Amino acid sequence: MKKLQDAKKKYEEVEIPEELNNIVKNSIKEAKRKQKKRKPIKQWGIGLVAAAALFTTSVNVSPALAQSLATVPLLGQFVQVVTFQAIKLDEDTYNADLKTPNVTGLENKELEQMLNEKYIAENEALYEDFQKEMKALEEAGGGHLGVTSTYEVVTDTEDILSISRYEVNTVGSSSTTMRTDTIDKKNQILITLPSLFKNDAYIEAISTYLKDEMAEQMANDSNKIYWIDDQEEIGFEFEAIRPDQTFSITEDHKLTISFDKYEIAPGYMGVLTFEIPTEVISEFLISDYYIK
Amino acid sequence: MTKKEKFQLVENYIIEHQNDYYRLAFSYVKNKENALDIIQDSIFKALNSIDRLEEERYIKTWFYRIVVNTSIDFIRKHGRIQAMDDDILHSFLPEQHDLEKDYDLYEAIDHLKEPFKTIIVLRYFEDLKIDEIAEIQNENSNTIKTRLYAALRKLRINMEEKVQL
Repeated sequence: MKKLQDAKKKYEEVEIPEELNNIVKNSIKEAKRKQKKRKPIKQWGIGLVAAAALFTTSVNVSPALAQSLATVPLLGQFVQVVTFQAIKLDEDTYNADLKTPNVTGLENKELEQMLNEKYIAENEALYEDFQKEMKALEEAGGGHLGVTSTYEVVTDTEDILSISRYEVNTVGSSSTTMRTDTIDKKNQILITLPSLFKNDAYIEAISTYLKDEMAEQMANDSNKIYWIDDQEEIGFEFEAIRPDQTFSITEDHKLTISFDKYEIAPGYMGVLTFEIPTEVISEFLISDYYIK
Repeated sequence: MTKKEKFQLVENYIIEHQNDYYRLAFSYVKNKENALDIIQDSIFKALNSIDRLEEERYIKTWFYRIVVNTSIDFIRKHGRIQAMDDDILHSFLPEQHDLEKDYDLYEAIDHLKEPFKTIIVLRYFEDLKIDEIAEIQNENSNTIKTRLYAALRKLRINMEEKVQL
C-alpha cells in the first residue's frame, strides 16, 4: 500500500489554480441568474393555479386536413398548430383568457422555435401588463379589466400556413390587435410582406387601392366609417399601410391586409381585413408563386 | 427543506470542497483549462437539477457522481489530451529521486479503463467508502468490491510488467 499512498501524494500535489475560486463562485451566480430568468414562466403557471384553471391541451386544428396530408406520401412534413398553454383567470371584475399557439412539425427547427418563443413571450408580456393594470386598478378602488388572447389558423394549405393571434384588452371599452405569421411550408420559411415584392412601390399601390375601396364602401353603406378623410377632426387619417402591415395569404393565393381595431376606423368596425385584388399589385410581385 | 435552503446548502458544499473536486476533474483530463471547464459544467448541472437531490446526506455522493460523469463525458467527447512525455517532463522538472515508481503507479491508474480507474481514484485518493462509491456508480457494494479487487489485480500486473522491463 505504500505505493498507493505515494501515488495519492502525487494526486494531491496537483496545483489548485488561483482562478478556481472565482470560477466556482461565478458559475454559482450564473446558475442562479438562469434560474431566475426561467422563473417568470414558472410563476406564471404556479401563481395562477390557485385562482385559475391551467390546462395544456393539444388540439389538432384540422383533423381532416391532417389526415389528407398524411395520405399523400410525398408530403412528409406534418405541420400542425396546437394550443401550448391556456391561461384563465376568472375573478369578479378581472378576466384573463390567454391561449398560446404552438407550431409543431416544421423541419426548420430554428423557425419553429423562433415562432413558438415569440408566441410565449407575447402572452407573457400580455399577462404581466394585465397584472400591473390590475394592481393599479385595485389601488384606484377597483374596476373592470379583461384580457383575451386567442389564435386562429386562417390558412392551411399544402404550401402555406397562416396563424393569426388576437389580443383583446378590455378596460371599459376594448381594443384589439392582431398579428399574423405566414409560413411557406414547403420551403420552411417565414414570409414577410416586403419579401413578396421587388421594391417599396407596393406600399403606395396597396394604400391607394385601399383608400378608394374604403371611400366606395362608405358611399354605399352609411354604417361604414373609415378614417380616410379627416372630416371628424379626430386628428388621424389613414395615409398608407406600414411596410410590415399585418397580412396573410388566402387559400386561393390572394393577399389580405389587416388593421387593428381603431387603427383606421372607429371601434365598432373592429379588426378589418381587406383582400387585395392581385392585379393591383401584380407588377410589383417578385413572382406569382405565393400570390396569383 | 425548501428549494432555497437546498440551494444554499449545495452552494456552500461546493465552495467548501472545490479543491477536492478540481483534483478529481484534473485526474481525468490532466489539464487545467479542461478541469476548470468540468467544474463549471458540473456546477451548472448540479444547480439545475437540484430537485433530484432528495436528502441532505446525499450531497456528497450526488455531486461526486455529477463530476465523475461530466469528466468521463468530456473525455469521451474530446479524447484525452496527451500527457507530456516523461523525457520532456523531466527536462522541466527539478531533479527528483526515486519518484519514478510512484509516477508509474500513478500513470498505471490513469491507464485503467472505466469504471476501474474511477473506483481506485475515489477509494484511495478521495478516501471514499465502498458504500459511497456504490452510490456514486449506482451499483451495489459487492459489485464495487469485486471491481476494486479486479482493478488492484490489473495494477499489480501492470506493475510487474514494468518491473520486468
